[in-house]
Amino acid sequence: MSGQTQGAQQVVTERLMAKAHLLLESRRPAEALPLLDRLHHLAEVPAPAREARAIALLAMGRFGDAIGAAGEALDALPGSAALLQIRGRAHLAMGHDIEALDDAAAAVMADSASNDAKGLMAEALMKVGKPDEAIFLAWRVAQALPDDMQAHLRLAQAFIMAGRHVAAEELLAMLEARAPRLGQPVALRAQNKLLMNDAAEAERMTRAALDRGLAEASVHSILAHALVAQSRLPEAGVHFRAAARLAPHDAYLAHLASASEGGTPERASDAYVASVFDGYAGRFEAELLSLGYRVPGLIRLAVERWLAETGQSAIPGPVLDLGCGTGLVGVALLGLTEAGLCGVDISRNMITQTRAKGIYTELHQAEFSAALASIETRFALVAAADLFCYFGDLTEPLQAAAARLADAGVMMFSVELAPEASGWHLGDSGRYRHSLAYVNSALRDAGLSAVSIAPEPLRQNAGDWVGGLFVIARRLVC
Amino acid sequence: MSAALQSPFAAGIAALARDDPAAAVPLLRAALASGEGGAYAELNLGMALTALAQFHAAEPHLRHALLALPELPEPGMRLGVIAAMRGDSTEARACYEAVLRRHPQHVPALAGLAALAEKAGALDQAAALLARARAAEPDEPELDFAAARLAFAAEDAALAATLAEAVLHRRPLHVAAAQLLARALLRCHPEAAALALLDRHAAAAPLAPAWALAQGFACAELGQLEPAIAAFQLADTLAPDNPDILGEFGRLLAQQDRPDEALDALLPALAARPANLDFRNLAATLMWRRHRYAEMVAMLQAGIAEFGPHPTLNLNLALVLNAQGRQQEALDAADAAIAQAPGNIAALVNRIAVLPYHETQGTAAVLAAAAADIAAALPVATPLPAAPRKPKPRLRLGLLSGGFGIHPVGWLTLAGLEALPEDRFELTAYSLKPRRDALNARFRARAARWHEVSERDDATLAALIRADEIDILIDMGGYGDTGRPFVLTHRPAAVQLKWVGSQFCTSGLPGVDYMLTDRWETPAGFEPHYSERLLRLPDGYVCYLPPSYAPAVSPLPALRNGHVTFGCFNNLAKLTPTVLRLWARLLRDLPDARLVIRTHALSDPGTLALTRDRFAAAGLPLDRMDLHGGCPHTEMLAGYNAIDIALDPFPYTGGLTVCEALYMGVPVVTLAGDSFAGRHALSHLSNVGLPDWVATDAAGYLAGAHAAAADLPALAAVRATLRQRTLASPLCDAPRFGANLGSALEAAWAAA
Repeated sequence: MSGQTQGAQQVVTERLMAKAHLLLESRRPAEALPLLDRLHHLAEVPAPAREARAIALLAMGRFGDAIGAAGEALDALPGSAALLQIRGRAHLAMGHDIEALDDAAAAVMADSASNDAKGLMAEALMKVGKPDEAIFLAWRVAQALPDDMQAHLRLAQAFIMAGRHVAAEELLAMLEARAPRLGQPVALRAQNKLLMNDAAEAERMTRAALDRGLAEASVHSILAHALVAQSRLPEAGVHFRAAARLAPHDAYLAHLASASEGGTPERASDAYVASVFDGYAGRFEAELLSLGYRVPGLIRLAVERWLAETGQSAIPGPVLDLGCGTGLVGVALLGLTEAGLCGVDISRNMITQTRAKGIYTELHQAEFSAALASIETRFALVAAADLFCYFGDLTEPLQAAAARLADAGVMMFSVELAPEASGWHLGDSGRYRHSLAYVNSALRDAGLSAVSIAPEPLRQNAGDWVGGLFVIARRLVC
Repeated sequence: MSAALQSPFAAGIAALARDDPAAAVPLLRAALASGEGGAYAELNLGMALTALAQFHAAEPHLRHALLALPELPEPGMRLGVIAAMRGDSTEARACYEAVLRRHPQHVPALAGLAALAEKAGALDQAAALLARARAAEPDEPELDFAAARLAFAAEDAALAATLAEAVLHRRPLHVAAAQLLARALLRCHPEAAALALLDRHAAAAPLAPAWALAQGFACAELGQLEPAIAAFQLADTLAPDNPDILGEFGRLLAQQDRPDEALDALLPALAARPANLDFRNLAATLMWRRHRYAEMVAMLQAGIAEFGPHPTLNLNLALVLNAQGRQQEALDAADAAIAQAPGNIAALVNRIAVLPYHETQGTAAVLAAAAADIAAALPVATPLPAAPRKPKPRLRLGLLSGGFGIHPVGWLTLAGLEALPEDRFELTAYSLKPRRDALNARFRARAARWHEVSERDDATLAALIRADEIDILIDMGGYGDTGRPFVLTHRPAAVQLKWVGSQFCTSGLPGVDYMLTDRWETPAGFEPHYSERLLRLPDGYVCYLPPSYAPAVSPLPALRNGHVTFGCFNNLAKLTPTVLRLWARLLRDLPDARLVIRTHALSDPGTLALTRDRFAAAGLPLDRMDLHGGCPHTEMLAGYNAIDIALDPFPYTGGLTVCEALYMGVPVVTLAGDSFAGRHALSHLSNVGLPDWVATDAAGYLAGAHAAAADLPALAAVRATLRQRTLASPLCDAPRFGANLGSALEAAWAAA
């Protein structure tokens, strides 16, 4: 290349870079990206272009590409706090919590003065279930940036996760007063009230926000939950639907909206279940226990009877716990799973909680049928506690579970009970209910035979017991 | 040689050579005046003026040059170009043929004739002319481009792509070739393959603008506006200040509702390409959106002066003159557009859009005739086959509008729609303008389905509505800015009706079954003015949603000021000469009174100056008037705290403006006419229990204003309770309105 051509190229390169920066500053990453892509095609890619490209990809929500671009830029500029943050944030968005925490921690180490890095680390700490440590960092950032609404909202979230509801309320009340035209503070504040079991106040706050014209998905959603908590399901439906319409890509809200309208998809979407339990993981056990959740106990009891009948001291083979949640079934079966205990759950936060118990020998964070397709072991016991309430049609899930049973294996699961004539239907709560006749027919279709099907109360809901069936089944012998 | 040392003629030629005709003109004029350059100075001056789109000025010079230099092809060629620019194909052809008689191989004349033949659809003739041109000048890329165009027109997209690509390799800034390449590739490859081909070119030559341009055009063809803009952003960065790129970039930015950036791109493009009529009209419409009315008028009038009475220029001129309150001139421009293009639907719609503001023509009868003209000129749409009436748990309502947000449609319909029972009505929105604001969020929260449909043509939009199995389609756009009333002529729904959204008169359209109205807007006996059946709601035809951020109502300003302040916050289009004269008389009668006018058009300095002149001419005392431009909504509402009595204009009365005045505690003096637009205020005032503020003639209007101004205690009492009264009235009673609307719609459905 001649010197003159090189000079001309240099001018164009600089112009592209300057314009890309301008566009990124103007929050137009999609317009900056083609400019940066062109620079990326050059024989010698300018270092700032690599970083700017990662920023653009992150801002566009192309998280996988952003991780790749930031990684490539880090190869050229190892230890860059800015690049570590970009990659960490992309990891966080993709649910790679550990990787996000690693990058955030490295970014804080690289630039201890960076509030952005600390904020990112606080968010990652919350994701891995360490809200107290998150509070420390989030508080430091909020102190350093007193006018930064997001920094304060992050701190409030950490308070809520840590169960420090009074502190959260105090902070959120201040934020709401500071920004009455913003939906986030009021939604978070009302959510905090809900967690404090004050659904009426959560309802009042969200209704006031709607009256102020804050028609946001989060406000409608919290109002709907507040109404559900007060057993006012038809009223809640209107707001679940409004929330789902305002956040059309939110599977959690879509499922609840559909349930509120009597929609009948054959199963809850994976995204819905993952979202429910990711949000729930931190308080799952405490809440279930407080609601008198009985299914793990029913499984323990059934297993003890089975072992007594067969004169064995432990389950004669490995155990599979489908939808293991935080590992309550594993806890219930303590001492009885000598041949191994494998857990499967779609929620990464649930798996994190389960792993912390150290009871399970194997854990898979995956959708139920995908996990079953990848596991080759045959199990002596397959347990599914409170799992099939996320499925309407049970045939395929039961078939998939039955395929993993050892020849003499036993399956134990619960369903919520539907009226006899209804087969199965999606309830207002977003959970499916199944009738006795339907369960019997689904067992047959899946090649299983019922050992026993017993009506059992499963847990409490708004003071009432939720009726269910506890099913023990074996593979049909041909 | 430096310019300073050059003679004016030489300097003028040099300026032209460097594509700077504006600099060339004074130099060549000076040369001409001094006799330097002779006929060549005439010729070059004519060429420079042509390049600046000053056709009238150019023509005499070119004609002198034609006589003086008969051996030269250039004067005749340029006259032909001017004729072609004006759309006068006959004259253009005559000029080119005259050139060719003396210079049979003159390539530009051959190409010009070929372009005319292509435009007329004579592709073989065009190809033959191009072949002659190519024989004379085999290496000219423009001929390749013309051949590419012809190939595309002859449906040989592969050849068109090959030729266009070859042009781009030689002329990487050939914007039209990039556009043709994009179109041709999309014609002969699947979308993804076409885009991948362009991506490969771009990767191989990352700093070449040609491929960015082609990518941009391809995305635009596919309706992918965001990546199209991104590609043009890139092209503009790679080749800054290129007028053709800027013009196309501006067009895309305008589509994405980024008017300021679009103007930043288009104005320099137009400065460099003043003869580009497309850029001119687009820039004018953008100025409209930014309320730069005076500049817009000048730009359009200059265009009409040079290009002749082009219909689109006149359409836009009519709109802007109306916005400045020049109703008669607006109507003249609208009529001129129709005269230029008889039966042109856009021109007829334009006329009905300005007509209701006109002080004598804005009557129900005249408007109904104008609507009938539209219906008569409309090509007959093949209605979709009748939809089967399937039993559904809820009636499906389709709402068609560009106003789902902070817009009069939003303020006047949202609360009522929210109040429609969800278990009886399912709503689907067909949005004709993407919006993101607080009211838009509420529309989205209420609508079970949402479609952004501005890019769809009427037929495909109708097909979508049919596919959604809509039972009742409600047009909420009418003959307004983003309205698409002709969708209804395809009969996508079994029941179709017109509601708020440029609802100023009958639609005149055969597909519109009902007009949603009330007994004040269209009392019994008004049926002859409407092609629709009148579906009267028991209270008002709208439900006003007051903004949550509206400031509190202040005590009556007159009590602290010692004089009455009248106010009108309507747009200038509504302020007719008759209205101004009436107000002048009122202010003459009340020598201490003041009048406040507030509207966004007054933010435009040129329009402000013009308005002051109009007001003065009508006898209004400018020293007792305050003229304010646009301001944020909260501030505008707060402005009512300085007003004692609102004066409504006519024949197009206030709609949302009246609701806002009432909510801010300010009663409104109005004069009811017979058009739908002429009775908005009557409906709203009647619904809040203030029918006595409505006059039926000018004398009554004056008397009403006098009486209100004379009894300040009574006025203060009205003000003290007017907000609560408005809130408690049917005008704002959303549950009541929702129940009424629901019943009316169900009745219409049952009757279908």
